[in-house]
Amino acid sequence: MTLADWRAIVRQHAASTGADRLPLQTTDELASHLDDLYQTARAEGASPDAARERALAALRSSSLTDLVWSGRRVREGVTVADLAAASRAFSLRSLLMGHALRLALRQFTQQRALALVTVLVLGLGVGASVTVYSIVDGVLLTPLPYRQPDRLITWWDTNVERGLSHEPLSPVNFMDVHQLDVFDDAAAWWRPDVNLSEPGADPIRVTTIEVGNNLFGLLGVRPELGPGFPDDDPMFSSNLIAVVSDRFWRTRYQADPALVGRSVQLNGVPYQIVGVMPPDFHFPDDIDIWQRSRWDFTQHSRAAHFMEAVARLAPGVTFEQADAAMTGLATRLANDFPATNQGWSVRLVTLLDNQLGYYRPALIVLFGAVGLLMAIAALNVASLLLTRALSREREMAVRTALGAAPRQLIIQLLAEAAVLSMAGAVVGTLAAAVALPLVKALTPVDIPRLANVTMDAGALAFALAIALGTTVFFGLVPAFVVIRRSLVAGLRAGDRGTSHSTGWLYRGLVSAEVALAAALLVGSGLLVRTVANMTEVPTGVTNERAVISSVQVSGQAYPNWPDVGTTWERIIDRLREQPGIRQAGATNFLPFEAGWRIPFTIEGDSVPRADEAPQVQIISVMDGYLESMGARVVSGRSFTSRDDTTVPARVLVNETFVERYLTGREPLRSALVMQVGGIGPLGRNLLAGSVDGRIQPGRLEIVGVLADVRNVPIGQPVEPAIYFPARQFTFRSMFVTMAAADQAAAVTALRETLREIAPTLPLTAVTTWEERVRTRSAEPRLLMTLLIFFGSLASLLAALGVYGLFAWLVALRRRDLAIRLTLGARPGSIGLGVVRQGAVLAVVGLVAGVVIVQVSRGLLSRVLFDVSPADITSTGTASLVLLVATLVACVPAALRAMRVNPIDGIRAE
Amino acid sequence: MSPKSAIAEAKKGSTELLILALLEQEDLHGYELARRIETQSEGTLSFTLASLYATLYRMEDRGWIRGRWIEKAGQRRRCHYRMTDKGRRVLDTQRAEWARFVEAIGRVAGVRYA
Repeated sequence: MTLADWRAIVRQHAASTGADRLPLQTTDELASHLDDLYQTARAEGASPDAARERALAALRSSSLTDLVWSGRRVREGVTVADLAAASRAFSLRSLLMGHALRLALRQFTQQRALALVTVLVLGLGVGASVTVYSIVDGVLLTPLPYRQPDRLITWWDTNVERGLSHEPLSPVNFMDVHQLDVFDDAAAWWRPDVNLSEPGADPIRVTTIEVGNNLFGLLGVRPELGPGFPDDDPMFSSNLIAVVSDRFWRTRYQADPALVGRSVQLNGVPYQIVGVMPPDFHFPDDIDIWQRSRWDFTQHSRAAHFMEAVARLAPGVTFEQADAAMTGLATRLANDFPATNQGWSVRLVTLLDNQLGYYRPALIVLFGAVGLLMAIAALNVASLLLTRALSREREMAVRTALGAAPRQLIIQLLAEAAVLSMAGAVVGTLAAAVALPLVKALTPVDIPRLANVTMDAGALAFALAIALGTTVFFGLVPAFVVIRRSLVAGLRAGDRGTSHSTGWLYRGLVSAEVALAAALLVGSGLLVRTVANMTEVPTGVTNERAVISSVQVSGQAYPNWPDVGTTWERIIDRLREQPGIRQAGATNFLPFEAGWRIPFTIEGDSVPRADEAPQVQIISVMDGYLESMGARVVSGRSFTSRDDTTVPARVLVNETFVERYLTGREPLRSALVMQVGGIGPLGRNLLAGSVDGRIQPGRLEIVGVLADVRNVPIGQPVEPAIYFPARQFTFRSMFVTMAAADQAAAVTALRETLREIAPTLPLTAVTTWEERVRTRSAEPRLLMTLLIFFGSLASLLAALGVYGLFAWLVALRRRDLAIRLTLGARPGSIGLGVVRQGAVLAVVGLVAGVVIVQVSRGLLSRVLFDVSPADITSTGTASLVLLVATLVACVPAALRAMRVNPIDGIRAE
Repeated sequence: MSPKSAIAEAKKGSTELLILALLEQEDLHGYELARRIETQSEGTLSFTLASLYATLYRMEDRGWIRGRWIEKAGQRRRCHYRMTDKGRRVLDTQRAEWARFVEAIGRVAGVRYA
């Protein structure tokens, strides 16, 4: 016989004598007594059966009903059932948290549905929060892997007049910045298109930057293999060296250490490899090869913007001081070189902000959104617990009557809250552990540093912090009820135990849910508009299915420009003959990309000083380009294969050009004059030749006007542009564009053509125009998807909250409703009254939600495009959705209110 | 009132006195209390489980005694009862009253102390 056996016997006996449930401690005490009797009898020599019989006889002679009532300060009005419930859930000696926790656990095993719902809702909130927190932590908060990364800055050129906010830098201007003493050092690079060709291997396109010798020293990063760029060499050198990335070294060279010291052909020029960078080094982004610059940055143009740079602040210099110095320099340069620098300024950003770009505000918005979701989940659980507390008011009162101090009750409530919160946190953390790798694998955009994101101690601490926060919150909400009840006598007959203040607390919780859900929905509405706006921006391209691939005619087979030009002509001509190809062309800049900007004058106008001539974009296109992309010629003609080097220079202009510079003139009878010397290794037919040893500007005949094709990123006005025929003005690197039966046919055609005509040139990634446009809005699209997801979940939770609230309100008012119905109130008006209350709640929540959105408008506007945070459509749609959800959620309660049976309702009391 | 019920009535009033008297010497748990009352009264006084514990709880409720769950070395956890100061005052009063009562019974009914 064990103590547990005796306990069971006592319970059984109690039940059989009508004592139903004894207080736990009493059971224990009786069991202990019986065991003592038994042990004593055994010690006196009785057999086990006899001993057992002696103990049982003592029990049988007792009616335990007395004990149910005895001993504990019991007031009138408490029933045995109340007492039993109280003793089950609570005992006088349960001041210890451990004991309280055990009790709470036992309670929730008896209320599985409630426990399951709350833990799932919390798990959802915690899971989403921990996932996003891990991403924010890894992407936004982890310092960059360079020496003193917070001292690194970068900058972009800006031109307010032209609406340019993110332009690359001029190499000459960069050299002036390099001289500023607010910087320790500054390094610049550009991104040449480079083909790597080696004997015995297919040629490939590699991602390279050509960069000053000082880059790695400035960042404080050394190669993992090889010496790297020599420390004390000049910024540029004709001694051609390069370092490769760890990834490239492993994939292309099977991690062969002998690569260092070897030579590779980059665009047909031999570079000696002097190092392999560490695996986590990706600067400025995923680069295969860093070539040391071979040319002097000062020997270029201040008008050509094609470089990027990084600088390290000098010791003691603040970001603001550097910003001021840079702005001062820009002003000085604008005065000294108005032709090239007038209107230009700079925008400084920290390197981390620059690398994150859109993701910084986007992740903060996302973190905010997930915070709102977590808050809604918490409010939802809190309101559930509040209803539970209200339904337990009597039990609480009984406990108080039995001598429990409010402190003990609150400890018990906290224990219950802790059990739920911890379970929610555990479920959520597990969910996040599953979700995070999925997010990393499935994200459609290239979030910087996402690969490094892991769930670490920080994330666990974060989950724990949420659990602690919700524990306190969940404990306090029902505790509010307890404390109120302990102030008013708890057991008055007929008291349904609810007063205005608890009602208001409940209403407040649910309104807050609606408000937060409204904020999330408005936010997702704004993103929907943003994505729509970005997609609807006219591009001038009508053939969405145009197939695009980049080809670069470079290497030893093409030493000079005539070879390059002829090769391009042969490629395009041959491509058109391939099966499945309807049209083919090429361009050096695709839509959305800005061409080079060069000064020009209109023939017949007085020639301004060179530095006052307006600048326009120039873009070279092969005949067939406009047709393959579906660009529209509004007057005149498009290019043909006869616009080649044997005829005078001919150009197209866009509509913006005509509006800006040719108003009141006949464009097709006008001509342009352009000085194209000094912009690099360009066209052949553009210069009129030299007269008296001076180069004469070329005359460009306008043969057609093109409907605007977007030549700047989304969000900027289209710039005036001149289109040259690529047969007259060729480039090594261009995008081949094809109108084809399907993408596969286009790929085959291009591969066959290259194999036939230029076997050393690599075939690179092939995409459609549609895909390219989609990538442009991929980031807001992803944010939109996530916000819609969170918004829907939030609305669902809020609707559940509303449903619960009204179910409770109606149950509470049953007698009241019954009386009104008896007195002749129409059910319809009663149902309408419930719905009206729901509407009031929804409107209050919506107003608060809109206020939340407006408070965060500064942040929001950074992820929006062409839509204001106060946008009526988004706000209206979100409000409508939520209003409908709220009203639908209170319909069941309204119906129940209408169907209250007057007799039952009154008798219920 | 039959003789049997006289004892029953007397017992009812005296239980509390007996318990307090025993607890005056040392803290005891329920079984030990019952055993001592039974042995020291040589079997005259014994209680059912229910009446013993009902009395204990009532006394605890009045603040005369306090029960504490204590685990003593080599024994299982038991609820030990200790007399409070209030209990001591009650014991003193009851002792005096019982002395007067027994004396009065003796005088009237001719019952003598053994």
